[in-house]
Amino acid sequence: MTGLSFIWIVVFALAALFFFGTATVITVLGARDLRDLLRG
Amino acid sequence: MNFHLIDWIVLIAYLGLSVFIGIRAKKYVENMEGYFVAGRRIKPALGTATLIATEIGIVTFMYLGELGYVTGFSCFWLGINGVVAYLIIGKTGFIVSALRRLKVITIPEFYEIRFNKRVRLLGGILLFLGGVLNMGVFLKMDGLFLTETMGFGPDVLTIVMVIMLMIVVSYTVLGGMFSVVVTDYMQFVLLTVGMFVATAFTLTHVSLNEIATAVSNNFGEAGVNPVVNPRFGWTFLIWIMLGSVGASALNQPATTKSLASENAEAGRKVFLFAGITLAGRYIIPMFWGAAALAMFGPHLNPTTAMPKLLGTVVPSGFLGLMIAGMLAASMSTYSAYLLAWSSVATRDIIAPISKKELSEKTTMLLSRIISIVIGIFILVFGLWYEIPATAFQYIAITGAMYAAGAFGCVAFGLYWKKANSVGAFSALALGAAAPLTFLILDQVKTSLPEGMLWLVDVNVSGFLSFVLAALGMVAGSLLTQKSHPPIALPTTDEQEGGPR
Repeated sequence: MTGLSFIWIVVFALAALFFFGTATVITVLGARDLRDLLRG
Repeated sequence: MNFHLIDWIVLIAYLGLSVFIGIRAKKYVENMEGYFVAGRRIKPALGTATLIATEIGIVTFMYLGELGYVTGFSCFWLGINGVVAYLIIGKTGFIVSALRRLKVITIPEFYEIRFNKRVRLLGGILLFLGGVLNMGVFLKMDGLFLTETMGFGPDVLTIVMVIMLMIVVSYTVLGGMFSVVVTDYMQFVLLTVGMFVATAFTLTHVSLNEIATAVSNNFGEAGVNPVVNPRFGWTFLIWIMLGSVGASALNQPATTKSLASENAEAGRKVFLFAGITLAGRYIIPMFWGAAALAMFGPHLNPTTAMPKLLGTVVPSGFLGLMIAGMLAASMSTYSAYLLAWSSVATRDIIAPISKKELSEKTTMLLSRIISIVIGIFILVFGLWYEIPATAFQYIAITGAMYAAGAFGCVAFGLYWKKANSVGAFSALALGAAAPLTFLILDQVKTSLPEGMLWLVDVNVSGFLSFVLAALGMVAGSLLTQKSHPPIALPTTDEQEGGPR
């Protein structure tokens, strides 16, 4: 594996981590927002 | 055939749930603002979920997967590029905060406030045409994806796609933005699960080392360096950065989610949070494409290589869950686009040319009828139109048709006091000229003389559209300052510190 390949693999891992991590947070907070929206 | 009874049960359960909650949300629509922007009361986390659901569809997975298959890791740069663009918008509120303060529902509405009604009409027509053409290719991509992953012939797929479209059109037409937001939230959760399933099973079948080796063997340095990759290079990297900042803030289906936020600050945050996830939602499908290269070699049809991989590695049961996630991604995109383009057609094309003012009831009725017509159009268009260039480039070009002119009008209209209606007309016309020329010349490129071939280079066309739009705005405005004095923007409540 070349140096640039390794860097892109690390970029992929970080991007996936940020995506699934943020998606989990948004899922929890979004449920609260949705309840507020429909209540009002 | 990969798709078994358990998969059908999961898929039908998801579609049934979509119908139930989508149509149930209809009761929340009380007036026109409720129908088009959910009463402008969406908070940042929910806004982010719906924005991401809008921007991810099977079509995005397909073109990003295709890029991964044909360019290796060098296309990952587009993910970083997108993050930079969104963070610029999210940190500065560039364009989106100002539009939210002005309380517009559609982007051409701004043209009437800042320029005049005729600019709004031209902007509305271009936005509608570019947007619907852009959307025309989506269903074709859905069909290709489902064929490869489910393993069925065209007859079954046509039925699945017609049912999917009917569900989306029915809940969008009945509940407007309320139905879109409620279903988007569910679809966001499901598409995240679908992406996780696809990535996990890909990694259990193909190792990172095998993928890196395949990229290196097939592309050499072009597989890891976007500057030397013949599909990208400097021109592409520059115009895609400009285009990303401009088009991301002016993509009506996505921007609507920001305009529906509870205030300008929340609208800005929606882009900031969505930006944090952007690298992932670009790079993950690109990675699936690179994994398909490692698994099958370079001789497959690039468009169908990635779905073929997923159809192979994801086992029954999980396959139903993944397909439901993928359909969820597409349905949330369709609903946002249907609502966006029907509202543009109603408010920016029909309303300006009608003799008397349209009532709220008539506006909503017209919007609903146009949503149904667009649904029928994309079904027909999706089945017979042949796409020029790759899917990604087709989408970039039809997007540039309205985004370049819109960027010229909105960015200059908001931040340059001398912008006037002549400049706006010039920006819209010139911004659409380059992509239209490309689409026409691409049909006859075999008979073009050598000296004109650069005109059918998709990168040149995209770049030119933004440059021409900006030049048109500056030259048109400066030459006609006396005959067409600029109209100043009104001061808004938020700027005065009043109620939001």
